[in-house]
Amino acid sequence: MRRQYSVPERLGGLGVAVAAAAVVWPAVTAGTGLGLPCPLRWATGIPCPFCGLTTAAVELTHGRPLASLSANPAVLGLAILTAVTVPLVLLRWLGLVSLPVPWSATTRRRIGLAALTAAAASWALQLHRFGLV
Amino acid sequence: MNYASWPQRVGASLVDAIPIWILIGIGIAVDGPGSDGGPGLIYFLFTLLALAFALYNRSYLGGQGASIGKKALGLKLIDEQTGRPLGFGKAFVRDICHFVDGIICYIGFLFPLWDAKRQTIADKIVKTLVVKG
Repeated sequence: MRRQYSVPERLGGLGVAVAAAAVVWPAVTAGTGLGLPCPLRWATGIPCPFCGLTTAAVELTHGRPLASLSANPAVLGLAILTAVTVPLVLLRWLGLVSLPVPWSATTRRRIGLAALTAAAASWALQLHRFGLV
Repeated sequence: MNYASWPQRVGASLVDAIPIWILIGIGIAVDGPGSDGGPGLIYFLFTLLALAFALYNRSYLGGQGASIGKKALGLKLIDEQTGRPLGFGKAFVRDICHFVDGIICYIGFLFPLWDAKRQTIADKIVKTLVVKG
């Protein structure tokens, strides 16, 4: 059976949810004092590759792209993925685009390697941002 | 196998969390850290109640096949090898293993977005599946 949504489309859906949460997040934190701590940084003092993503998403959805990129540039990847895949899904709902074709094993391996490389680069940036490298 | 999607799993978790938020909210409102003299007995009692509910709901009911949230969303938690409910002990261990999903900046909870069997890391450790129906 063909999948209804591909992995990039699912991540695009996550991007929509993140954007929606980022719009209301400042009001939530101001009203409740809640936060989203990085467990790794909390436990060891070392930031993770994804540190700063909450700030980056909030800044981006509030129209401050430079502040967003300086917090964590990885948010740009999620934003692009969302911008590309959401229209695709909408077109599929209208019956104008066919179901996604599953990737080959080689493509999956390459995409996985690219994702790991991006995570490593993001980690290096965060270590630099927190003055550890 | 008809695996549960990530949004369905998030929905079930949110339903499971509602009673916990209510209990902790009551504790904070009545006798929380913001009250005179810091958190009191009622706050600790309600926190304990919330923990007991989480244990009953996730480990006991989850071990029988579905927590309240999973039942509401039409999902089942099963053993990957036998296809049957896990039982209390294994469901409890699975909940403990969610620590691994959290410590790597919550990425483990996003695994069902791209994993072939829609498993979190805890699911992979304990060899469990969340399926529809």
